[in-house]
Amino acid sequence: MTDAPGAGAANSARSCIYLDHSATSWPKPPEVVDAVVNAMTACGANPGRGAYSMALAAARLVFESRRACADLLGVPDARDLAFVSGCTEACNLMLKGLLVPGDRVVVSSMEHNAVSRPLHVLSLGGVRVDIVQADATGTVHAGDVERAVRAHATRAVICQHASNVTGAIQPIGDIADIAHENGALMLVDGAQAAGHMNVDLAALDVDAYAVSGHKGLLGPQGVGLLYLRPGLDVAELLQGGTGGGSSEEESQPQGRPERYEAGTPNTPGIAGLGAGARLWLAHGEEWRAQEQRIFRGLKEGMSAIPGVTVFGPASDEPCVPTLSLVSDRMDCDRIAFLLDRRYGIAVRSGLHCAPWAHRTIGTLETGAVRFGVGYGSTSDDVAAAIAALTELLA
Amino acid sequence: MTPATSRFVAYGFASVHDALAAESALASAGVAVIVIPSPRVLGELCGIALRVDPASARAAESALEVAGLPPRASAEIDDL
Repeated sequence: MTDAPGAGAANSARSCIYLDHSATSWPKPPEVVDAVVNAMTACGANPGRGAYSMALAAARLVFESRRACADLLGVPDARDLAFVSGCTEACNLMLKGLLVPGDRVVVSSMEHNAVSRPLHVLSLGGVRVDIVQADATGTVHAGDVERAVRAHATRAVICQHASNVTGAIQPIGDIADIAHENGALMLVDGAQAAGHMNVDLAALDVDAYAVSGHKGLLGPQGVGLLYLRPGLDVAELLQGGTGGGSSEEESQPQGRPERYEAGTPNTPGIAGLGAGARLWLAHGEEWRAQEQRIFRGLKEGMSAIPGVTVFGPASDEPCVPTLSLVSDRMDCDRIAFLLDRRYGIAVRSGLHCAPWAHRTIGTLETGAVRFGVGYGSTSDDVAAAIAALTELLA
Repeated sequence: MTPATSRFVAYGFASVHDALAAESALASAGVAVIVIPSPRVLGELCGIALRVDPASARAAESALEVAGLPPRASAEIDDL
């Protein structure tokens, strides 16, 4: 078999060669689409807000989706996973819910704006933010984090699990050990990791971990997860109805997950995410191997094009299936435009909402063109992209 | 004529998630359970509660204890 999962029926309806999986997965598996439609039709009531049959069916959708996500992510108690609107909300919640003026944090230079912008706001309020520089491949080194953490009292270490620019996988387990040995919390932006790599949160021993639902996990847009270690007291950002708890009380319920889920949940999104999680539970090992094989072909092919510089770990180093490149012959925006218009290839140019990361690898001024493979990608897609870029830059 | 009455035991939980987890645990333990709107007597601990036959109450409470989901409140109620 040469194709990635989903390259069959789902691809027959494709209108382009889609290589922007780092932004969002597409096409969605039919199981995910069916789950979303089912949630909006057969189970369209408000979950947890009533005990009639359809409301219970909706509540069970949410319940089973949370369990599937917990199983996939190695979370022993599903209540420690809160459904949120996306990884950006999860990052905001874990940062703003934990950090207070006077705190000092150590953060990697590869972070996405979902982390750097909340930290900017917090820094204006008195949180000290010290950045640890990653190397030119986008990899953060645990020794550098350790030196930074030991320099001053540190409330938290913040690091992505994988880069949305270079695909580098960060040594989160080692960094978490360093954080904990020095009395700091370990907070992780896992937007690019779950699905594309096996994420075992119990083994990683992190304190908070933000998850995107619509990227590697194949759910619809508008849903994500935040894992919080048992007992970690993170202030909620929103207050409101939760369905359960003592409705007559003025204060927000403090139990999980309701504390972090005020308001009517995104039931269709949650149902779709649950379907994606179940697919990964069933096929994860096989699918990841296929993604990696297709991605290696992409990386090797792009690296061989004259004048192209590919950023990221070496081909034999572990990474998620994302790379960025520049050419000495054409600007990145022009490459992305022409790949789309002439060849029907969907990729993204620019800074990918990660100016810190581009500054780290030296592309802040030029931007880069990013390619990401995932569910539905094929070896033929990759071959077409390599041939197209070769022709464009000839 | 006096209407026939029966009784049931209602269990309340801290959250909808806990109530559904408890329903799953009881089903796995072979205890017949029905999800009901939370009776007022339980103090509105949750929007939903679990209904169990009194004859199964001991087995239910044992199963919930094993599952780590002890009810936050319970009451035996006349089912008129």
